[in-house]
Order: sequence, then structure tokens, then C-alpha cells
Amino acid sequence: MTFLDRVLKVNTSSSPASSSKSSGDPGTIKQVIEIMLIVIIAASAGFGSILAAIGTEASALSPTLFFVGLILVCAAIGIFAVLAGVGGGVIFTPLFMGFTNIDSYIIRSTGLFVATVGALIAARPFLRKGIANIRLLYTAAVPYAVFAVIGSLLAGYMKTAMGPASEAYIQGALGMLVIGIGVLFVLKKNSEYPDVKQVDPFTASMNLPMPYFEDSLGKVVHYKLKRARVALVLFCGVGLMSGLFGLGAGWAMVPVFNLVMLAPLKVAATCSKVMISIGDTAAVWPYIQGGGMFPLFAVPCMIGMVIGTLIGTKIMLRVKAGFIRPLIVIVMFTSGIRLLMKALG
Amino acid sequence: MNDKFTPKPSPSGIVYGDVAFWLALGGSVIAVIGMFLYFTGNQFFNAESLFNGLCRGQRANQIWHNASPARDVLSGHWYLKHLGTSDGISMLGIGIACLAGVFGAWGSFATMISKKDNPTIFIVFVLIISLLLTASALGWISIH
Repeated sequence: MTFLDRVLKVNTSSSPASSSKSSGDPGTIKQVIEIMLIVIIAASAGFGSILAAIGTEASALSPTLFFVGLILVCAAIGIFAVLAGVGGGVIFTPLFMGFTNIDSYIIRSTGLFVATVGALIAARPFLRKGIANIRLLYTAAVPYAVFAVIGSLLAGYMKTAMGPASEAYIQGALGMLVIGIGVLFVLKKNSEYPDVKQVDPFTASMNLPMPYFEDSLGKVVHYKLKRARVALVLFCGVGLMSGLFGLGAGWAMVPVFNLVMLAPLKVAATCSKVMISIGDTAAVWPYIQGGGMFPLFAVPCMIGMVIGTLIGTKIMLRVKAGFIRPLIVIVMFTSGIRLLMKALG
Repeated sequence: MNDKFTPKPSPSGIVYGDVAFWLALGGSVIAVIGMFLYFTGNQFFNAESLFNGLCRGQRANQIWHNASPARDVLSGHWYLKHLGTSDGISMLGIGIACLAGVFGAWGSFATMISKKDNPTIFIVFVLIISLLLTASALGWISIH
């Protein structure tokens, strides 16, 4: 058995004792950290290769080097996206828009595509294990998807009627909002398994909670949810913002599930991932039909994202939910700063 | 917390996950096959022009103009008319992968009706989502 096999081997035993023992083993955590470091180094080398390739004359470019670099970078993005409960697009798009001169329309198109594929691949084990709550995510997906479409139509109207200046104001406001949510995540305690003392009548009537077996704890997690009415309104806002800016919204979905509805962090992250597979499917088709997708660029990115997503999914099923919390905070701060930078030109 | 039983996940969720996973994976494999065929010739895009255009920061429509035989952006499901080329096959794979969510949602809807494992309100929710995704894939809803 190779090192990778040992690290990624999923514990299929349903025994609480064996699950708890293996996932809590310091050796396992050490191995996960080791593999993450290897991926980071490989991705850095890959991205360096792409930058080096683009920095040279076009006639001297090595397509093989470019493809390998793309695969490595996207594999790293796939791992972090699954662990952070966000779409790969929110990491892929700023990286490539910031550090390469590839047309932003092509980058956004490919970013949405790789995020969609990553989320579609990730959805299966989360739904099979029952961690992703199908009732919760379908309930949230309706306002999210409907308002994402409304937001995208609104974006077209605003661009025509008010010009690019209007986008800067909205991006600035969104950037501050995302950083605010990140700060809230840092300050908020006990969000891994929030304690819900009282459930409001509306949320209770929806019958949303679905218990699941948590491998890292070795026991069944029963949880309650609250404030569904508020969350549905917030998902309208998240969908509207997502449609307006053409970004995935995993970074906003997780806090709504975890901080507003008080869902366990792992439930919030997995539901967010499945919702991305639904929302980005609606968003990616106009790009494909508009000619923004080139297989020569998109396919290597997709290969890397699939590999990274599979690795990330295996890691996520083994580690405790708290492991992903710093990653979510980092993604939020990065997204917020990036949006503010865009707003300031 | 009760540790005495392991709760069964929702069949409609499993169907969504399975359909989405296998279609996305199948589409990905087809896209990769198309990519390998790139090196055997019969390309839709001129590989050199496309690669140089990407690296030089040319806009998408410029790349289409320089690298495609059509000399212009082919909107819609253009790849269906060019399945004899490596790019057409790759784009077909990409298209199948992006349809995975649509079929997954419909599969989930059908399972919810047949298994009756969830309250009616969730059947309505997944129907709305399925219709929305279908409309998007067919180009009936313009995101931009």
C-alpha cells in the first residue's frame, strides 16, 4: 500500500469505536498535513510553470508544460475548494485573472465550468453518507437559483443603464460584507456543532433536520435548525449577489447555514458544495453557448479539478469539521479583499 | 445523541449524487478523449493560433476569428455539428458534464415521487430547480 493509499483510505466500517479511533489518530492528521504540503508545493511549481510559459515568447511556449502546470494548480484548487465548502471558481478565477493575461471572459467561463464539475463530483459521497441534507439544500436552492437568475438579468440592465461605475459601488459593498462575515466566523464560538435551544414554529414546520453518522466522532449527530425564514430571505440576497457578479457563492452559503440556521459546520459545507453544483449549472450554460469555452484550456483545468476534488472529498470524510474552519475564513478574507480591490480599480 | 442506529440517507439525494457523478465523470472522460485526439490532427481550432491567443490575452471573439475555420464565434451548441473533430468531441464531453446537474435534479424529482421519502413541499422545490436548470441548458434564460 502506497503512502497516498494509506492517507486516502476511507474507513468504511460503521463501528463507532473504530471510526473514532482512526480519525482521531494524530498520525492520520500528520499524514493529511503532509499531503496538503505536497499539494501546495506541486501547485506552486505548476503555477510557476504557467507564469514562466506566459512570460516567454509565444513561439517558445511548451504546451506540455502549460498542461501539466494547469493540472497541478487545479488539483490544489479542487482540494481546498472541497475542504472550504466553496466552488473552485472563486479560487481559480481571481488567481488566473490576477496572474495571467488570459481573457477574463474565458477565465470566468472555465472557472465556472471547473467549479461545476468539482461540485458535481463531490456531491455523491456527501449525499451517500447523508451529511449533505437534501431537504435543507433544496429548500435553500430555490430562492438562491431564482434570485441568481434575477441578479444576472439585473446586472445586464445596470451595465446598460448606469455604466461600469455602478458595479464598483456594489463590489465594494459586497467586499466589506464578505470580510464582515469572515470576522464574524473568527469571533463566533461553537459554530462546529452549534447548540440550538429553541426552534421557531416556522422552521419546525419545515421538518428540515436529517441526522447523519459522523465518522470523526464515531456517532450519530442529531441537530436542530432555526431561523429558516431569515435564511430563505438571506439566500435570496446571496443568489442576487451571485447573479450580479457572476461568482459562485459558497463563501456566503456556509455562514448562512452555520451562523444563521445553526447547522453543524460540516453539514453547512457539504450542503453548500451540492448547491454550487446546482447554481453553477444554471450559470455555465450561457458561457458555453456564447463561445467562451475552449477545450484546450478547459480540459486540463477539469482534469486537475477532478483529481483534486476526489482527494479533497476523501480527506473531508476523515477529518473533524474544525479542520476546515480556518480555510473558510481565509477564503472569505481573500474574496472580500479581492472584491474591494476590484471596486477601487 | 443516539448512537444505536445509523440513519439512512435520502434515496432522492443518492440519485442526484449518483446521476451527477457518473454523467460528470463520463463527460470528463469524453472530453479527455477529445483532448488526446487533438494530437492526431482533425482539429476544429488551429492549436497554435488558439494557444498563442490565450497566452497573449486575446479576447474570446478574436481567438475564434483567428483559430476557427468559421472566422467568427459560433453561438449555441456549435460542437454538435463538428463531432468529427477533436474539439467537437471535447466540447461534447464538457456539455455532458454540465448537463449532469440537470439530469440529477430530474432523477431526484422522480425518486421523491416514487419513494415518497420526503414531504410534498420538497417535491415542489426540486421540480422548480429542475425546470430552472433545464431552461438554462436550453438557452431559454439569459444569464448575461
